[in-house]
Amino acid sequence: MKRLGFVLLVLAGAACARRTAAGPGAAARRPALAPSYELRLGRQVFQHYCQTCHGETGAGDGFNAFNLDPRPRDLSDPAFQKKKTDAELTDAVRRGGAGVGLSSMMPPWGKTLSQAEVDEVVLYVRSLRKQ
Amino acid sequence: MPLKRLFALTSVAFLAVLAISPAKNALRPYRRIQIRFRELAVARATSARQARDYARKPVAIHQIWLPAFENRVDRCTTCHLGVADPLMKRAPQPFPFHPWTPHTPEGFDRFGCTSCHSGQGLATTQGEAHATAPDAGPPMLPTEYVEAGCGRCHAAASIPGAPMLSRGRALMTQSGCFACHGVRGQETFHSPAPPLATLPVKTGAEWVRRWLKSPREVDPNATMPNFQLAARDIDALANYLFGLEVPEPLARRVQAAGEEPPGDAASGKKLFAESRCISCHTVEGKGQGSAPELSKIASAASRGWLLAFLRDPHAFNPRTPMPQYHFAESESRDLVAYMEEELRDFDAPKDILAPLRVNRTLAENGEKLFRRYGCFSCHGAPEGARLTEKFGPDLDGIGDKKATSLDFGRRTDLPRTLTSWLAAKIGSPRSFAKDLKMPSYGFGPEETRAVVTALLAMGAEPVPEPYRVVPAALPAPIPAAGAGRLIDRYRCLSCHQIGQQGGDISTAPLTFEGSKVQRDWLVDYLVLSFTIRPILTERMPILRMPRQEAAELADMIQSLFVDARIPDDPFAGKPASDADPVEGERLYVTLGCRACHIVGPSGGYYGPPLTDSGTRLKPGWTFAWLKGPQRWRSDVRCPDYGLTDRDALRLTAYLATLHEKRGAEKAGSR
Repeated sequence: MKRLGFVLLVLAGAACARRTAAGPGAAARRPALAPSYELRLGRQVFQHYCQTCHGETGAGDGFNAFNLDPRPRDLSDPAFQKKKTDAELTDAVRRGGAGVGLSSMMPPWGKTLSQAEVDEVVLYVRSLRKQ
Repeated sequence: MPLKRLFALTSVAFLAVLAISPAKNALRPYRRIQIRFRELAVARATSARQARDYARKPVAIHQIWLPAFENRVDRCTTCHLGVADPLMKRAPQPFPFHPWTPHTPEGFDRFGCTSCHSGQGLATTQGEAHATAPDAGPPMLPTEYVEAGCGRCHAAASIPGAPMLSRGRALMTQSGCFACHGVRGQETFHSPAPPLATLPVKTGAEWVRRWLKSPREVDPNATMPNFQLAARDIDALANYLFGLEVPEPLARRVQAAGEEPPGDAASGKKLFAESRCISCHTVEGKGQGSAPELSKIASAASRGWLLAFLRDPHAFNPRTPMPQYHFAESESRDLVAYMEEELRDFDAPKDILAPLRVNRTLAENGEKLFRRYGCFSCHGAPEGARLTEKFGPDLDGIGDKKATSLDFGRRTDLPRTLTSWLAAKIGSPRSFAKDLKMPSYGFGPEETRAVVTALLAMGAEPVPEPYRVVPAALPAPIPAAGAGRLIDRYRCLSCHQIGQQGGDISTAPLTFEGSKVQRDWLVDYLVLSFTIRPILTERMPILRMPRQEAAELADMIQSLFVDARIPDDPFAGKPASDADPVEGERLYVTLGCRACHIVGPSGGYYGPPLTDSGTRLKPGWTFAWLKGPQRWRSDVRCPDYGLTDRDALRLTAYLATLHEKRGAEKAGSR
């Protein structure tokens, strides 16, 4: 039973990854007025760990942003949102800037956040896309 | 013939009766729901085999049985079939995958469903399971209050992952709910409200009247609720309060202080800023706000009282969170001079501090009111009154109350549910009937929801042992004598946490402080505290602690507030190459530590600057922290880089080389 659950999980994970890879902006079109529970969890994670540098709206203008060179990424930029798949965002959150060949000023969060928290925060980052 | 017909009829009737039960079972709504789930799952399946497996699932009742948890049987998964099935992410109700929580998806078998969501686990129809009828058992909690479920097991005041519950519990403590209402675990609660015996030498009748009319209007930081008193009652209470006998020694102190020569307002103003009073107080709204607003303080308290209180606040209110500063006599005079010059209500009538000529009859009425409204619960019993019981009803079990057992009184507008009753009770307590005593706390909708969450968490019975999470006791008890009295005098616990005790104004718990910072640095810091984290607005006050006391306190902290998991010498037994500061500095750069920390001229200011980490921190602590910051503070932002021992040691070695000139000079001059 447990093994079956695991297999299902892996399959489902693969399915989700494939689906979202096809349309990375899909999650961003979720209605902003009534955020889902997952989205609210993601917002909590974002506000706690990311907002300092990436700013409240994700525009890369948090209060600590001005001490960083290069400046934090503007996460609300539609072009950026379009270019990056969920898998790439997850990877950047988990392994940090240095892990994906970018600035080491973005720390790796893979050992601090659970996989679920990373998924939630990626979901929330999607919702930050400027229309 | 009639007999035969009768027999036939009874047989038919008998068969029909027999058929009722199987028919009812066949028509149970969950069967249709399970078939719908099957269709949905087959449509979502990612392989033919998986689809086949779903299609073959028999229709049956599912249940989670928890013999160790009050013998709960939760059949919710009979309809909510997708809660543990990631394939059902964002599926429509009742099938969606359960959002992540600290206990899901791993904890379903241990916690079931009703332990968090409440409701009737045994039922297999929606109406019965969610218990929407008012006379059913405990209904399902509306999702907005779901954190109440956390509170059934978690007894701590602050629970990471349950912000609403934590806020509710904090609000209840702040508002002094437990002074009137008995609650398990809050037996030792005492309100920090001042005893009132010195009131006649502190303030005037007009100020008392204004305060009683609406405490929040006088002071926006007031925690005293509004008792919605009539003008006549306010007058009676004022007469009672001004008739109280002031304890002789305190009266003398206030009078003597009042006759002292005036101080220098300009140096008082400087001192006021230096002492960082607004780490707790506010001035015109600026400041932390857990202590009174001070912009009109000189119109609320007499000069003599202010002086005497500043010098020894604990003599006037043994439970005040205010530390006893070590001001020189003239310094306190300067402070009060500044208050009298600038921190006063310029619109107040001249006689706002004039005492009252007490009218005996009114005072007697006032005493009755004082008892009637339970003022003594917070302010202490009046002379001669023996109080053994709590003034209000106990709150244990309030979260399990049936809606039918609640008195809705005049509130016919409310839905007949426990949650709406509680929210109305908190929001406008006097609206239920005439002559109710509970005061109004002026909570906003968010605050009300938080308090209701905390109330719903109060079950009639504690949950069984293996599920109960009670905060750990103090690692080392604070001794009452010796340096322990300094902890009391300087009220360290008003801001800092030690173990599970203490306030949350400071971000630095002192539980492991002795393992964390170096003794000599700590002595210097206590004598003249400076800002460790520049972004914080609440700064450690400068308490004017004499060096000798600082040394005594630092020694106690070094010996008692330690943690065995933190090594004294992390380099012991390691090769010398592990202690290489040059490699450590390289790591500091490549890991990007300077995004948040300042070393030398540059860096972010989110974390504490590390310019003097070699003077401040013990290497054992630095190492233990680098190996996993969240082990020491679960919500800390410093990421866990998953460093190897060697890398953590090298970084530790580098940070131990950082000293600031200022610190070095001071150390030399001592």
